[in-house]
Amino acid sequence: MTQLGWTQKWTLRFAVVALLFLAAAGFEGSLMRTQLAAPNLVAGMEAALNTIRPTKTEPTSAELYYGMLTVHPIMGVYGFVYMAVMGAFYFLVPHLLGKEIRFKKLVPVNFALQIIGVVVCWLSGFFGLFNAMYTLYWPLPVSFDRVPVWGSVAFAVGAAIIMVNILLFSYNTFSTVLSKSNPRSYSLWQFLRAAFGISRLMKWLGKEDKNAPNLDYNGLPVFLVAVARGSIDTVINAVVLLSAGALILIYGIAALLNSPLDPSAVDALIYKNWYWWGLDMVADGNALIYTAGVWYLLIPLLTGRKLFGANVVKTVIMVDLLVSMGVWSHHLLGDTSQPMWMRLLSGQFITWGEFFTMGLTIFAALMTVWLARPVKWTPALKFAIGSMFGFMMGGIAGLIQANVGLNVVFHNTQWVVGLHAHTFLLTGVGTMLFAVIYALLPMLTQLEVKSKRLVNVHFWFWMVGNVVMAYSMGMAGSKGMARRTLYESNQYQTYEMVAWLGGLVVAIGFLAFLVNVIHTLGLTNVLGLFLPEKWLNRRGALAQA
Amino acid sequence: MDVRERRWLYVLIGVFVVFNAVTLSPLVPWQRWLLWAKPTPDQTVRIEFGDYEIRLPAEGIEVRVGEYIEFVTTSADVTYGLGVFRQDGTMVFQMQVPPGRENHLIWKFDEPGLYDVRSTEYSGPRHSEMFVPDAIRVSS
Repeated sequence: MTQLGWTQKWTLRFAVVALLFLAAAGFEGSLMRTQLAAPNLVAGMEAALNTIRPTKTEPTSAELYYGMLTVHPIMGVYGFVYMAVMGAFYFLVPHLLGKEIRFKKLVPVNFALQIIGVVVCWLSGFFGLFNAMYTLYWPLPVSFDRVPVWGSVAFAVGAAIIMVNILLFSYNTFSTVLSKSNPRSYSLWQFLRAAFGISRLMKWLGKEDKNAPNLDYNGLPVFLVAVARGSIDTVINAVVLLSAGALILIYGIAALLNSPLDPSAVDALIYKNWYWWGLDMVADGNALIYTAGVWYLLIPLLTGRKLFGANVVKTVIMVDLLVSMGVWSHHLLGDTSQPMWMRLLSGQFITWGEFFTMGLTIFAALMTVWLARPVKWTPALKFAIGSMFGFMMGGIAGLIQANVGLNVVFHNTQWVVGLHAHTFLLTGVGTMLFAVIYALLPMLTQLEVKSKRLVNVHFWFWMVGNVVMAYSMGMAGSKGMARRTLYESNQYQTYEMVAWLGGLVVAIGFLAFLVNVIHTLGLTNVLGLFLPEKWLNRRGALAQA
Repeated sequence: MDVRERRWLYVLIGVFVVFNAVTLSPLVPWQRWLLWAKPTPDQTVRIEFGDYEIRLPAEGIEVRVGEYIEFVTTSADVTYGLGVFRQDGTMVFQMQVPPGRENHLIWKFDEPGLYDVRSTEYSGPRHSEMFVPDAIRVSS
């Protein structure tokens, strides 16, 4: 392997830790699925782990299950996806701009804080038995007869670290992108006008704002436009979740000081609207916009052809940002107290905006591939196409449940979490991130992945396993199996067993990927990303002796 | 916009119109009374949630096929969910029950039998216990 530069090293460090979080989240998922399929099978492990938990009374199996379920998405989203995105963007953004990251010292800070935040959240579930789910529906996170107060405080602190870190990352990304985009000085207001596309609209109307940075017309690659626009959602998400975390923290500290506050002072439905507005900026905002940006970058790169419909694509990204601001009510379709017009408009119709934006995005990407025939089916291209399949499958499931009529029988079932959420995150975003890793590996290290056979094993096992897992969970949901519910009967055991097997197939695919990557880079080089060189030299000398 | 993109956009618009028209129409049976008609309920059933309990009316819930039943739910502490299930476990309908509000939903049962009730929103570690078998008796 050639000598790695500073940026390349940090990108690989982010990628390695992201993959470790994915493995840990996958292990948690398999444990929970085991508990649903065969309730007593993990009892021995629970008893062993209880010996290191400093609780006065032994936690119940349900407390352990729900604690794990609460932190599982934090590991998957903020551990795996965000770490991988940070690593990729810290390489790609300066690489495409042809200049350095604006604040290089923030890169290791981001790396450390993200790990600390995710681990603190995880510990709040493992040791603190925090179990209010990632949805944090008010007032459950501050109902200290159900949720341990120390666990609640620890979770809020961990979440706050993650959110502050994301704000720092976004600030660094904005600074890097816009310092190149427009060398002139500009105010925050001018920047916001540009980010929301108002400067573009003004140009259409013949009134260009010449002093503002213009994301569309300053020659930025489409990928960077997507990064900048998606980061608006990222910032909103972080600010809203930070406010929710602060609220929980205030109630937690007050309880610890024996001055408990009244939870009914906060309206549960208004809080739920605010929280989902912000939380949905990930699921229906930056995840889609960043993904679109990555496809727009990778597909032309891998096929050697200019992106089909680049102008439409820039409009799509802008529309996606606006759509993401208005879709949150599809999480409140089961709330009959939510006005029907909001459920219809925001919950159903605006959600369909994503059908158009993603529909046009995938069409542009596939047309580019089609027009570039014959193409070389490199690992990155295979995974990029695979991720489009994941977004289509997860997106269709999402549109079915985001419907005021059909949601009556789908809300809070395994359908939502299986066919929609896991498909989106694993078959969609996860597969896309593998495409990025396969594409970046030769760019970073000048090395090609060693085994094409293992790439194929990774691809097919990953895709088929995820589809099997998602469909069996979806079928269980359509038969009435609720999510976030530990069943004591064996009613849905067959579906759970099939989902478990699907997860096993996914794990085999992931292992094939790890073996291939470590074989390509060399274990010493991977360890060298984290350990001082002299340690590795000593190990090598000892091995030779 | 390229002609191929325009054609694809028309396909997307077509799918949007057809899917939404069908699912908002009375072809989805419960849309008839949830969205279009505002029927006067034949019976009102009040269900209270609190402290991991689903408190049904003391006299039980006995309704007839074809009657419009208004379910009014309240929560005394955290958010719960009212889910009504057939004996084979499939869901009939569900609604969220956040605290601080009266939550209303009208339903019309089309098959006689016994129906179970389960809380469909996570409310704490004892959430799974919130299950009432044979809670609703529907006669023909």
